Amino acid sequence: MPPSILTDITAHLHARNLYPTPAWLQSFVSTIRPSTPLPALKSTALFRLLAADITSTLAPPPSAVFPPDILNARIQAQFLEGPIVCQVLDVDDVGHSKWSQVEAIEAKERGEMTKGREIVRVVESEDGADALPESKGPHKLLLQDAKGVKVYAIELMPVEGVSVAMSMGTKLVLRNCEVRRGVVVFEPAGVKILGGKIEGLEKAWREGLKQRLIDAVKAGQEGD
Amino acid sequence: MGRILCVAEKPSIAKAVANHLSGGARAEDVRGLPWVKNYKFDYNFHRWGPSSVTFTCVAGHVKQLEFHERYKKWMGCRPADLFEAPVQTFIADDKKIIAKNIETQARYANVLFIWTDCDREGEHIGAEIREIALKANPNMQVCRARFSNIERAHIINAARNPVQLDELQANAVSARIELDLRLGAAFTRLQTLSLQSLIPQQGEQGKVISYGSCQFPTLGFVVDRYLRVRNFVPETFWYIKVLHEKEGINVRFTWSRGHLFDRMAVTIIFEKCLIAKRAKVIKMQKKPTKKWKPLPLTTVELQKLGSRFLRMSSQEVMTAAEALYTKGFISYPRTETDQFDKGVDLKKIIEKQQQDGHWGAFAQGLMNGGFTQPRNGRNNDKAHPPIHPVNYVVSSTLAEKEQKVYEFVVRRFLACCSEDAVGESTDVEVDYGGEIFNAHGLIVLARNYLDVYPYDRWESSQNLPQYVVGEIFEPKEATMHDGKTTAPGYLTEPELIALMDANGIGTDATMAEHIAKIKEREYVIARPKGRGAAIEGNNGAGGRGGRGGRGRGRARGGRGGGAAAAQNGGGAGGVQEFIPTTLGVALIEGYDKVGFETSLSKPFLRKEMEVQMKAICEGRSTRNDVVHQNLEQYRAVFNRTAQQINVLKAAIRKYVVDANHG
Repeated sequence: MPPSILTDITAHLHARNLYPTPAWLQSFVSTIRPSTPLPALKSTALFRLLAADITSTLAPPPSAVFPPDILNARIQAQFLEGPIVCQVLDVDDVGHSKWSQVEAIEAKERGEMTKGREIVRVVESEDGADALPESKGPHKLLLQDAKGVKVYAIELMPVEGVSVAMSMGTKLVLRNCEVRRGVVVFEPAGVKILGGKIEGLEKAWREGLKQRLIDAVKAGQEGD
Repeated sequence: MGRILCVAEKPSIAKAVANHLSGGARAEDVRGLPWVKNYKFDYNFHRWGPSSVTFTCVAGHVKQLEFHERYKKWMGCRPADLFEAPVQTFIADDKKIIAKNIETQARYANVLFIWTDCDREGEHIGAEIREIALKANPNMQVCRARFSNIERAHIINAARNPVQLDELQANAVSARIELDLRLGAAFTRLQTLSLQSLIPQQGEQGKVISYGSCQFPTLGFVVDRYLRVRNFVPETFWYIKVLHEKEGINVRFTWSRGHLFDRMAVTIIFEKCLIAKRAKVIKMQKKPTKKWKPLPLTTVELQKLGSRFLRMSSQEVMTAAEALYTKGFISYPRTETDQFDKGVDLKKIIEKQQQDGHWGAFAQGLMNGGFTQPRNGRNNDKAHPPIHPVNYVVSSTLAEKEQKVYEFVVRRFLACCSEDAVGESTDVEVDYGGEIFNAHGLIVLARNYLDVYPYDRWESSQNLPQYVVGEIFEPKEATMHDGKTTAPGYLTEPELIALMDANGIGTDATMAEHIAKIKEREYVIARPKGRGAAIEGNNGAGGRGGRGGRGRGRARGGRGGGAAAAQNGGGAGGVQEFIPTTLGVALIEGYDKVGFETSLSKPFLRKEMEVQMKAICEGRSTRNDVVHQNLEQYRAVFNRTAQQINVLKAAIRKYVVDANHG
């Protein structure tokens, strides 16, 4: 394998603010066939990286991870220049009560949907079809950077692609974002969604969604 | 001279129509039927010339569909056999004298002129009358009258223009009758035989657990809501309020987000607002606004609004409307049409209402130039006009319930012929720390139709001071609050009717009966709605309602309506709400567990049947195809239910048996 290929792939990923560890690059290169054309290799590398857990695949420079004081709630506001790559671990529609979300999931389990007052039978779509409908939000998200630091984000203005239907493990780049009281403020200008997911996380998250919502509602009730 | 036999659907119509045609007919008794009269008179029909007329009636359906003897006995066959067991129509025992009377009269007549109500059921009853008459006198010419109210001129016009019976509609009813018989009997026997012994006995006989293809989905709606109420868990939400004082007026701004279910998020947003200190006006809009006058009245609307505003059940509303129709005071109360024919002279109808002490002045106003053509809705059943008053009657001469319904029909009609209410709305929108807050004001300039239609509410709000776009101000107060979601209420009668209507359960004519049936069978109990909850519910019922505040214009009107309803419902005996009995819950849960796809508690199967009835009426399908197809579909459900009867038994044990002993 000519070293230039490795350089090209690295450059391709860096351009997307992704800084893979040498180990990941090494293992990636070891799996590819030399005959594969370069453009295909580039996109394969990107695809695999987006499908992996960034805490074990990325080694970004210190400027591309969350600053050490990001969680300090005493800081009223600070600025994240970025770009910082992080992944989504959780998303919650805080514009709607959890119970109404539970009811929506249950209606979907029954294969029903309401259209105004009419109850409509939903025909299962081909592709598994357990995706939830796009939620309206605003959403609260849990983000994680390559170092494993977790921080909440709140979507003050609708950001396209952010919804309860988004995959867990989705990678995104933050640039010029505000952080208030330890919470990242999401606005369209500061967030770029790269895509991807983490298969195991996504599956567990989605399967456990209804129960988590129910547990959260019940816990809130006991707190009174 | 021709001899014409006229037959109406019920005694009151026969009497009213005979008197309109004759100006006072001679009533002859019918032996054995004290409440049926044969009215004799001469009349000059456009088609047949001077004729001697006998005007009589039936009392609804004359014939009945039944299984052959062997299948009538519960132990005579397996319930599953009822899907194909032979059936026959015959004249019901209590209708034999009526049929005899028609036969006797038919022998002397050469024309049979049918005056049953102009709807599907009426068409089928007409076909039954024809069959009986033709058997006695095969040479008779047969036709029917088309009419939609019992007003004199209208009746005389109907007598001038006879039409043919609509065979297709009669066939649709015939299909429905056969399906109701087979499905009702099969499922009722299956349920009763396997579940009866589990239910604590009241009285000597075991309880019959009856099934009906409309009643079960109706019950399903009630149970569905009940479970939602029962399972509901309140949640806390947070929101921000902004208050600004200008020109001595305290202006309350509401948050465009309504409220959020995350304290941290709201706290951060709230802090942003406080830091921003000042708010900036980004929109100041004054615009003319209207509250539209109501659409012409359909049956479903009459039932919904009647049970909301008149403190009557939908069935009581229909009974009263029926009586008013029979007496010639209002038009036929079973209609889907919400548009008036351009040709109808509405002013003639308004004119008659001018003498009333309450709404007469309003009617005069309409006559003196206030009239505008009613709005057109989207429905037209091509058979009957919207429900409207026909003749004036002094309210005090009517029974109490008829009074209320008559008043409602008249007021609704006058409102339709009046003008939209006009007002001016003011919307102020400010940006405060990046968040949007709104204040809304309304000044009603002309009440117009509202003056005669107290069932709608639309009132001026506080006056808003003048703001200018770009204006910057410091709010007097910005505060963060919390609140809780509240459970939805139990299903009310207007809501249930709306659900049945949207989901094709029953027709406008039968919905009230289905609701009455599930009460009678003790699957649900009805009680006046009234216990609190509703007030807080305005805020964030179910976590969804809260957002409604964003709507403008129309939505405001909607809220006005809601407020009026709450006012009426607040006291004792307003709207009825339904709660299922333990048996009701058990049946629905049982069927759902047997198989959701085609559960009898869901509206899907029945809706499909209703669609096919329409297809028969429009000639796109035949009676036999529809009966066959539906029987096959329900048979599949029947077989699955029979196989999994233990699932149903478990549900009964869970709710009825254990609950009673627990």
